[in-house]
Amino acid sequence: MITDVINWICANPYLVASLLLVPAVPLIFFNILPLLVVMERRGAAFIQDRPGPNRAGIWIPGLNVRIRAFGMIYNACDFVKLAVKERFNPAFAAASGYYVAGPFIPLAAALILPAFIPVFAPIAYSTADGVGWLHGTTIATHSGLLALFAFSSLSIYGIVLGSWSANSKYSLLGGMRASAMMVSYEVSIGLAAAGMFLIVGSFDLAKIVAWQGDHTWGIFAQPLGFVLFTVAMFAECNRTPFDVVEGDSEIVAGFHTEYGAIRFMLVMAAEYYHVIIASALISTLYLGGYHLSPIPLPVGQDFAVVNLDDRWMREHLGAVLALMLGIGAIGAAVFAGLINGRRVHYLKSGATDAQERAREYILYTAAIGGAALLMAVGAVLLAGWSPAPKAVVAGVPVWGGLVDVLTAVAQFHILLGKIILVAWLFVWVRWTVPRFRYDQIMALGWKVLLNGALINLLITAIIVKLVR
Amino acid sequence: MAKVIPRPDLGVWERLYIGEIVKGLMTTFGHAGKALTNPAHFPTLQYPEQQPDIPRDYRSRHRLMKRADGSPRCVACYMCSTACPARCINIVAEESPDKHIEKRPVRFEIDLLLCVFCGYCVEACPCDAIRMDTKQAILVGGDRASFVADKAKLMDWEPKDYPADDIQSQKAPGGTLNAKALEELRSGSDH
Repeated sequence: MITDVINWICANPYLVASLLLVPAVPLIFFNILPLLVVMERRGAAFIQDRPGPNRAGIWIPGLNVRIRAFGMIYNACDFVKLAVKERFNPAFAAASGYYVAGPFIPLAAALILPAFIPVFAPIAYSTADGVGWLHGTTIATHSGLLALFAFSSLSIYGIVLGSWSANSKYSLLGGMRASAMMVSYEVSIGLAAAGMFLIVGSFDLAKIVAWQGDHTWGIFAQPLGFVLFTVAMFAECNRTPFDVVEGDSEIVAGFHTEYGAIRFMLVMAAEYYHVIIASALISTLYLGGYHLSPIPLPVGQDFAVVNLDDRWMREHLGAVLALMLGIGAIGAAVFAGLINGRRVHYLKSGATDAQERAREYILYTAAIGGAALLMAVGAVLLAGWSPAPKAVVAGVPVWGGLVDVLTAVAQFHILLGKIILVAWLFVWVRWTVPRFRYDQIMALGWKVLLNGALINLLITAIIVKLVR
Repeated sequence: MAKVIPRPDLGVWERLYIGEIVKGLMTTFGHAGKALTNPAHFPTLQYPEQQPDIPRDYRSRHRLMKRADGSPRCVACYMCSTACPARCINIVAEESPDKHIEKRPVRFEIDLLLCVFCGYCVEACPCDAIRMDTKQAILVGGDRASFVADKAKLMDWEPKDYPADDIQSQKAPGGTLNAKALEELRSGSDH
């Protein structure tokens, strides 16, 4: 029985890989969440000239240091605190169950969304009857982006149901604002993205990304569309300057005023997960998704079915990996240097815990510097590697095992890098721009974004018609 | 008549808003970059491991000045406790064995929880016996009793912590500097 299963797995590695994608992709996306929380807290602090939360730590007795991990420990503390707190039901909240169900809906809706985002280029593999494809999208469907928008819009039900059933005026106001924002900005999102659909001729996100690999990134093809889509996505995620839904200076905490403990955590997780999804969507639609180069680079032999950038990346896999590892090594080395600077500065400051922190900083410097060294060695070793396709089956190059895995990993990491950069844009804007007034938001949504998106769509339609 | 403040005249570029947002983003990015690269950039302290540098003339916890023989300079005249708006100074006097001095304090207690650190006691003192220049502005205690500074605690200071060329907290009778005041007292008057 077990040997049968193992045999089947060995016989169909690509099928197993496609099954593994189902839990792996949402979980990997979910793991950006703590990073995003730390980025938000420390980023906000640095923008405001303060060190930010840096106290929570884990004491390591053997090494005699307290590992604070740049504020990451706070995530664990927050989780434990919110998870073990009493799940308090306000007496005035509706007993209908909507109050309890409310926070689950946005998170459940958000957790489906990564399934529509292509995280690596389709991988061709030879089967008994020709070529099989392992798609980078967990749910490979022609209506990819439409389905994504449909599921993304479901989260508003959770917000409205939760806020209404909480039976509090602040919650209700927040919920109403959320639904009004949704109605206003969903239109602009669709119309701004429509420019990309027109150019590519498909709703399939995999096709949109492949087109960007063959021609150029969406941001160069649709600059206005990119700006409009990004602004509308900020509104969609209820992030500053569009955070009237939470509106903490006006309506306490908006739609989640009456939520505490683990329900509050679910609400916040959903909010941050939506930011990650929005970043992934912006990266996928306009920043080339998993593609490395903004313009297609020359390839040895062209195959109509494989997009150029993916083909180029496989041919120069060693150089691509070396580049990525090199960037990582330089980044890690700079980071280790910065930490060492902190150590020197803190030792000079005469604080009572200077020695303890210095030991901790030395540990970080050693670990990150070691990682930088490893990455540099890896980059040097891989730089010259340029694999060739194992076979050409029915006009499709098949690369096989290691090349496929490494390409997929590299492409996923390129996408993750773009997601984190765009997520930093979300954080950065939040701590720069103050909140818009409600009427300003509506005016911006209906008078500027909608008209801008329509003009963009019109111009794109004319150009596409002329070119084709 | 109401004063009308005209709204600033925004140009097209400013009304477009996006350019101004980018300018703001550059400002915040500059701050974030400085904070990331230069640890000396933070104006904040890692309290309590790092303590603020309190200047000598900051009105901090009191101390009682001493004579050359180590006895308190205080003559238990009750001027400070009379001047105190918070009524936090409690003095019990007794007769002084010194013929030149009428009284001396048996007990001299300041309830630091009542104290408002106004410095009136220092101003009121006729013989520069009380000063507020210990640099102890952060007082920590577990119970109320620990905040009552008695005579021993008020006199528990080392002359080396108060160099003669340092700024003194007040210019009460006796002059600004401890040594100078003593010298003037010895040479100038004959009481």
